[in-house]
Amino acid sequence: MSRYMESVSEQVLVSRSARGDEQAFGVLVERYKGMLYSMSRRLMKDPGRAEDAAQESFIKAWAALPGFKGESKFSSWLYRICYNTCISELRKRKPEVELDEAMGVPVEGPVQEFRNRDIQATIQEEVSKLPDDYRAALTLYHFNGLSYEEIAKLTRKPMGTVKAHIHRARAALKTRLLERVGWDNLKEVMWQ
Amino acid sequence: MNCDEVKRSLQDYVTRELAPEDRRVFDAHLVECGECQRELALMTAVVSTLDHQPVLEPRPGFSEKVMRSLPRQRVFLLSPWWSLVLAPLLAGLVWLFRGQAARVLEAALSRSGLSQVTVPTLSLQQAGIAGLAVVLVGLAVAVGAGAYAWQVYLRD
Ligand SMILES: [Zn+2]
Repeated sequence: MSRYMESVSEQVLVSRSARGDEQAFGVLVERYKGMLYSMSRRLMKDPGRAEDAAQESFIKAWAALPGFKGESKFSSWLYRICYNTCISELRKRKPEVELDEAMGVPVEGPVQEFRNRDIQATIQEEVSKLPDDYRAALTLYHFNGLSYEEIAKLTRKPMGTVKAHIHRARAALKTRLLERVGWDNLKEVMWQ
Repeated sequence: MNCDEVKRSLQDYVTRELAPEDRRVFDAHLVECGECQRELALMTAVVSTLDHQPVLEPRPGFSEKVMRSLPRQRVFLLSPWWSLVLAPLLAGLVWLFRGQAARVLEAALSRSGLSQVTVPTLSLQQAGIAGLAVVLVGLAVAVGAGAYAWQVYLRD
């Protein structure tokens, strides 16, 4: 990849890619692979399937680029493709579950020793148990940095639903964190 | 604000989506309520973990795999659209060498015994040029489409 191509603006790269310039598209892949893989990894959970979904998203983007009119940001457009790819892949696999059902599995109770790193690991683990829609909304908000409005547009869901999903997911995570770690441990770690 | 109201606006407080005046009322309640302080600490831990999720990189070779698997239908060099450029180019060449082309055509026609055939408005020369141009345009389109099809065949 040439130095020159790396410094070319995104807009130029996008329009060149739309005309079939593979080198330009290669720069975009390089730029967005981490973002797209992380996103699909969080939605799909399984690393292998996440990589397949990220790859498929790039291929779909390449094919659809001539139709990209630049009305939204290129990144948002790419996220939408990735979201659709992951969600349709997830739908093939298993039926949707409700939040209470997914998070209702009892835990063994607070552990003895705890560190800050463990709090994050616990939360991440609980995130992976969330129903797909909740996990997707949470990922798009916190990881991709999209607003409620952008998420609603991208997922074709009412904004109220998106907001409710995110709020309920965070509340469920908070409850699980308390159950699994225990307040005494948390207090010690957080306020040390 | 009582505890219930505070708990309802807890998330917006942590993500800084709460209006400034509500924020002040929230803070005032917090100072004197241990339970809400605990709720806030928990939600802060959740939100800050979610906000700081690292970017994960796919395995090495991912980009190359993506680039290799791109369908090559839109390879510009071999697209049939080139025929649109090639056709007028060839027609221009035919025009330049119309004298020679007409002689060749005339010779061919007389050999096949068709020299008696005359076109009323076009001279034989003009008709020959027009015919040749049509043939060449067709050929250019065919070559373009053939190259395109071959390219697609090679990639899939
Ligand atoms: Zn309170």
